[in-house]
Amino acid sequence: MISMMGNCIAWTKKKREPRRAVTLVILGIDNAGKTVATKGFQGEPVEDVAPTVGFDVAEFKFQKFDITLYDLGGRKNFRDVWHNYLAEVHGVIYVIDSSNHERIEETRLALKNLIEHPCIGGKPILILANKQDLDNALDELDICDRLNLEELVNQNKCPTRVELCSALSGTGKKMDKPIKEGMLWLLERISGDFESLGERVNKEKEAQRQREAEERKLKRERVRKIKEEREKKE
Amino acid sequence: MGLLSLLRKLKSSPDKELRILLLGLDNAGKTTILKHLASEDISHIMPTQGFNIKSVSSDGFKLNVWDIGGQRNIRPYWRNYFENTDILVYVIDSADQKRFEETGAELGELLEEEKLGGVPVLIYANKQDLFNASSPGEISEGLDLSQIRDHAWQIQPCSAITGEGVREGMDWVFKNIKSGKGKKK
Ligand SMILES: Nc1nc2c(ncn2[C@@H]2O[C@H](COP(=O)(O)OP(=O)(O)OP(=O)(O)O)[C@@H](O)[C@H]2O)c(=O)[nH]1
Ligand SMILES: Nc1nc2c(ncn2[C@@H]2O[C@H](COP(=O)(O)OP(=O)(O)OP(=O)(O)O)[C@@H](O)[C@H]2O)c(=O)[nH]1
Ligand SMILES: [Mg+2]
Ligand SMILES: [Mg+2]
Repeated sequence: MISMMGNCIAWTKKKREPRRAVTLVILGIDNAGKTVATKGFQGEPVEDVAPTVGFDVAEFKFQKFDITLYDLGGRKNFRDVWHNYLAEVHGVIYVIDSSNHERIEETRLALKNLIEHPCIGGKPILILANKQDLDNALDELDICDRLNLEELVNQNKCPTRVELCSALSGTGKKMDKPIKEGMLWLLERISGDFESLGERVNKEKEAQRQREAEERKLKRERVRKIKEEREKKE
Repeated sequence: MGLLSLLRKLKSSPDKELRILLLGLDNAGKTTILKHLASEDISHIMPTQGFNIKSVSSDGFKLNVWDIGGQRNIRPYWRNYFENTDILVYVIDSADQKRFEETGAELGELLEEEKLGGVPVLIYANKQDLFNASSPGEISEGLDLSQIRDHAWQIQPCSAITGEGVREGMDWVFKNIKSGKGKKK
């Protein structure tokens, strides 16, 4: 485990804190293991998942947290969709297929684009270096190096932690230990900074909502015109 | 792959009867997809004025697919079919970018319906055999799918003419039913 810019908050402090609603997103390129990890959190079977080209939402309790986790597809021609979900999240889980050396550069670029998004800088990021059960899996130093992680997260002020894991190894109570620990770290970072993070999320969410409301208004207008024209023709 | 072989995959599922609702604008390719699933001839298909149902039984299991006409004057009747839907399959013409906003708006309205609460949505991005068909990312933005937050949704690029991708879409449907998401919350 490697932590950057991250200090642990005293365990005891957390115990006194109220239940908290936290929104997270799990990202990474296709085939990394995002859906398997998500099922693991939900305690659902992790075998036999289908590639995601879309959106799913997992709601579950994790310690004192009520978590909403967005699981999005990571395919190249779907990654442009990620930005729609970034304003409202408190933190990010980024999953990597550590065994796929050919795609590590693609993984780096997708992570770079993500971290450099204005809604992500400053937010905590848990990196799951997944598929460690496979022989050729990269170790954490390799991963930090190949992702140019140190420079990337420091420049964008993202507290970051890397966990070597194997999402396929268990679900629910039998879930992979490093993933559980990584999640605990992520939630601690979030709750340690909950007020300012929450304020920021609300502000950025509201800005996005206004932008979208404008766009939808214009769009509705356009659809209405098209419908009217068609009605005239019919 | 016909409906029967699809059904065999479902044997382990606890549900006894599945209701799949096939919706989308006129000319999207709903009826062609349905015929393809049922391994029927797809050379003479007319716009649907009412609805088509295909229903197949196997091992006490029944899969009912309802295909309803998408013309504008028929759309108000869609709501008559919402009850007990396990999965919504929404078909779009991926090459008809001019209608993305309209079809996105129709889908958005559909999903506000209480009776479809929590139902997973498979979007068949049909007519991928046409050269100007849009990619899943473009479709998601064009239809404004990111506004959908209380339904799982999946885009499956396909062509009802060549059959490519149709089966993969059904695989997603089965996996989402197995995990219990097809049931109403
Ligand atoms: N060996 C091994 N395989 C894994 C592990 N985690 C996931 N996989 C496999 O990797 C494949 C992809 O997993 P998914 O969870 O579907 O990947 P994803 O990141 O959700 O991919 P997209 O939905 O396409 O973006 C599946 O075949 C999983 O079984 C792991 O820890 N070890
Ligand atoms: N190129 C191409 N044409 C398709 C495809 N699927 C359907 N079509 C054509 O699109 C037209 C409309 O197909 P239908 O299946 O009747 O569409 P529908 O959605 O049932 O339309 P309504 O019944 O009016 O709601 C037909 O001419 C089909 O041959 C496809 O994958 N590729
Ligand atoms: Mg996935
Ligand atoms: Mg039809």
